Order: sequence, then C-alpha cells, then structure tokens
Amino acid sequence: MKRLEHLFVRVNAWALIVMLSLMTLIVGSNIALRYATGQSLSWADEAARYLMIWMTFSGAGLALRYGGHVAITNLQDQLPATGQRVMRALLALGLLLFFGYMVYVGIQYAQRMQYQVTPALRLPFLYVYAAMPVGFSLLIVHLCLIARPYIMAGHFQSREGDDGAAGSMPGAASG
Amino acid sequence: MAEILFPCLFLLLALGVPVAFAMAISVFAAVSFGSSYPNIVLVKEMFSGLDSFPLLAVPFFILAAELMTGGAITQAVLRLAQSLVGHLRGGLGHANVVSSAMFAGISGSALADAAGPGTMMIRMMEKGGYDRAYAGALTIASSVVGPIIPPSITMIIYAMQDQNVSVGSLFMAGVLPGLVITLAVLVANGRMSHLRGYASGAPMPGLAEIARIAFYAVPALLLILLIVGGIRFGVFTPTEASVIAVFYALLVGMFVYRSLKLRHLPDIILRAALTSAAVLLILGAARAFAWILIIEGIPQFLAETIIAWDLSPIVFLLAVNVLLLVFGLFMDPLPGVMILVPILAPISFALGIDPNHFAIVVIVNLTLGLTTPPVGSLIFIVSSTVALKPSTLIREMPPFFIALALALLAITFVPVLSTWLPEVSGF
Repeated sequence: MKRLEHLFVRVNAWALIVMLSLMTLIVGSNIALRYATGQSLSWADEAARYLMIWMTFSGAGLALRYGGHVAITNLQDQLPATGQRVMRALLALGLLLFFGYMVYVGIQYAQRMQYQVTPALRLPFLYVYAAMPVGFSLLIVHLCLIARPYIMAGHFQSREGDDGAAGSMPGAASG
Repeated sequence: MAEILFPCLFLLLALGVPVAFAMAISVFAAVSFGSSYPNIVLVKEMFSGLDSFPLLAVPFFILAAELMTGGAITQAVLRLAQSLVGHLRGGLGHANVVSSAMFAGISGSALADAAGPGTMMIRMMEKGGYDRAYAGALTIASSVVGPIIPPSITMIIYAMQDQNVSVGSLFMAGVLPGLVITLAVLVANGRMSHLRGYASGAPMPGLAEIARIAFYAVPALLLILLIVGGIRFGVFTPTEASVIAVFYALLVGMFVYRSLKLRHLPDIILRAALTSAAVLLILGAARAFAWILIIEGIPQFLAETIIAWDLSPIVFLLAVNVLLLVFGLFMDPLPGVMILVPILAPISFALGIDPNHFAIVVIVNLTLGLTTPPVGSLIFIVSSTVALKPSTLIREMPPFFIALALALLAITFVPVLSTWLPEVSGF
C-alpha cells in the first residue's frame, strides 16, 4: 500500500514537472523563433495555455498533500484538541463531498464541449476540460491519503518524506 | 445570490477551509440556491479565468525565482549588500534590507524573499550580535518590497482584474514606491541600531574589492535590469520577459555560478509547479466569484453609492487605506486583490484617480497585511524558520510598522511616485 502511494505521488509529480517544462520550452522557442525568423508557431500560445490549465488542476491534489493551499486556521487552533479533530474531520468530509460534486459537474461540462475543437490545434475541447474532473479526482485520492495525520494533528506530508528537497512549500500562493 | 455568497465565504474561511475551495464552494452554493442560472456557467468562468496568455507569467516568474535562489547566487547578492552598507551603524541590518530589495528584483513574492535570503540574513545578524527577534522583525518588514519591486505575482493578478492597467505599466509603477519602502525600513533600522547600540559590521572594503564583489553579483542583478529595461523599451512583453527570466536563471545558475546542477532541476520545477497550481486555482475560483458580483451589479451599485457621497479622491484613498489595512489583517494579498479589485477599481477610476497609482496603493496595503497578526503569513514563515513565537516577533515590530505606515502615506499622497515611470515608458 505504501509503495503504491509512493508510486502514485511520483507519477503525479513527474506529470507536473513535464507540463511546466513543456510550457517553458514551447513559449521560449516561440519567442526565439520570432526574433530569429520573424515567424511564430500558431499553436504555441494555445498549447502553453492548455498545459497551464492541466498543471493547475492536476497539481491541486499534490499541493494539498504538502499543505500548499492557503487557509486561515486561527479559529480552529483556539479549539481544544478533540474539538479540533472533530472540526477537521468534518472539513475533510465536506471537502470530499465538494470534490465529488466538482468531478460530476466537470464531466458534464467536458461532455457538453466535446464536439467543439480548439482554434489552432483543432483539438476537441473535451481534452482541455477533462482537466477539471481528473484534477478533482486526484484531490479526492490525495485527501484520503493524508486524512489520518491531517484529522488527528493537522499535519500534512513533508516534502522530504517523498524524496523531495528539504523545506516546506514557499507559500508564494499568499503573495 | 450575494446574500448567500458572502456569509458562506466568510464562514468557510473562518472554519479553516483553504481559500481556493472556500471561494469555489460559496459560488456554487450561491448559484445553486440563490439563482436560476445553471451551475455550468461557473465552470465556464473558472476555465476562462485560467485560459489566458498573460497569466503564463505567473508560473514562469515563480520558476525563475526558484532557479535563482540557490546557494551561490544568494551569497553573491548578500555579500554585495554587505560591502555597500555593512560599515554603517546597524550595518548587517542595513545589508538585510538592501539585499531584500535586490531579491525583490529576482522574485515576485514577499514570502519567497523572507524564506530564502531572509533566513540567511537573520543567521548572519544573530552572529553579529543582534537579537534574533529583532533580526526576524526586520526581515518581515524588509520582505514587503518583494511584490512591489518588479517582477510581481500580485501585479500580474491585479492586471487581470482591472482593464485600465497592464502588467507592464504596474511593473514600472512599482519601482519607486518599492524604493520608498526600502528607504523607510533602512531609516527605522538606523534609528533602532542607534538606540540599542548595535555595532557596525566589517569596515567598508576598498574600492577594488567592492568592484570585485559587485562584478560577482552582476549576473544575478542583471535579471531585474533585463526585465524592467526590456519592458520599458518595448523589446518584449511581461510574459515573454518571464520566460526569458527562466532561461536566464538556468544559464546563470548552471554556467556562471555553477551552483545549479541538472539533478536539482526536477525538484525545483516541481516546487514551482505546485506553488503555481495553488495560486492559479484560487484565481479560477475568483473569476467565478467576480462573475457573480458583476451579475448582481455589486461593483456598479457600490460605485454609484460612493460617488453620490461626493468624496474627494484624497478622502476616498484614505478610506481605501483603512478598509484594506483592516481587510489585510485577515486576508492574504492574492485573494484580497481578486475579491476587492473588481469592486474598488471602477470606483477609483470614476473618481479620476490614476489607475496605476490606485493599483500600487492597493497592493502595498494588502502586502502590509502579510506583516500584521492575526493572519500574517510573513510572521508565520519567519517564526517557523527562526524558531521564535509569533508574539515574540510582533513585539519587535512597532518601529517598523511606523516606518511602513509613513511609506504608505507617502505612496498614497504622492501619486507621481507611481505614475511617473509608467508615463515616461509610454503606458
């Protein structure tokens, strides 16, 4: 089970690494091309934008695993230990229901758009909008994986525990 | 819908639900229970919030900063700051403030500045005889310039909420106000060092030595010149600048300072991707949130009400300062910008306030919120890196609060600080 979790986290992480690298390479080479030849790839902007959408949704779950989503926990911290646990259990349950609902709405939306294609790549919009149900499904799995330490102690997974470099998330999500 | 939207949002935030999900849940609740619109419009809004080419600058600038804050580059910048101001009384403190300003030109986030170079400076200051709590408080104050001096994640997000400004114009507008804040914190540190008898650091090295140290730091500092200069002279757009910054950081880290190794890259890219995902998710939810505000006519209603009060722009700006400082006590800058700018920017525009000036006032105010309890992410991040209680750090903050408040007043009442550079740059 632990090995399966490890594999799941690694695959999710590498998918993100590949997406951000591709975005950088695509936009970078498009700029280089334009300065060098005066021409640019018509599909480059579109591809980079859709990769960003995919990165956002498929990174949300892993960010949750490492406590990367900004939350205001001051009130929660004032509760006695048992109260905190009950509260976090309720929050986790509520979030699971919400994630499930988003998977459902996301599938509906993606299906509705399946016959339209993107302007430059001629890609069915289904493949772009599938990012939302996939991302929220990943959020469900990640939340279940960290639910125990989160509910019991408010802890998230450390990056070192997953062979990452030391240090927590820098928290630039706050500003 | 608003009667469900706002109570729901504030309740969920107070309970400790992450901001992105709290916003998403409340917009879905508002539309499902308070209107006859289908939910699918919200999904559409979330996607259109993310489907934007200028927005690509957010992950790219985050990645560039992650690549640039490796060991050797940080050292080079810290040494330059120290050789320039270290010989003054409170020299190491001054070096901390100056290096924060330099790093603000590399990264676009206050928290990244405090977590990386800030932590190193606190350690150096403690060795140099400063109280750890004072060094921590100084770092909190000096990191405020992170999102004011370009590049800035907050500005990129702001420009998406207000059609009257652009990322380029805001980057230009932030330069001088950022220097004003730096100056104010320097003065506060000078005063406090005098009162407490903090010694001066090492004597000023000879000119040749300074030149050598500066030469070593040039590749790191060239990035800010590249970004500001490139945008100023219209060589490239901010989004292009962000990608160029990534490749520049990569080359400088791997071949000039040689502290960046190929095997470090996956982890650095993953960190940048995760941070970006967290930012962009809030942005998608905020777009749906703004859609409800507009459908309900809330910005127009507030604008008409407030304009009917016949306030002078000065009074309005003061009122905005108070509102945002209170708001900033509880809310971080990015969600703050996403919720408040669609409401406030149209009012300020109608009152004839320069949009770039107003943007800087809003961004400085909300960024100051990072330094204030109860919800001040800068306090939390420094408190965890230096192992001091937040309350211990906060006790050392008052002189810096005064300095930052004076800087804020100067930025509010001297619009030319924010409008001059964008104007001469042709924005």
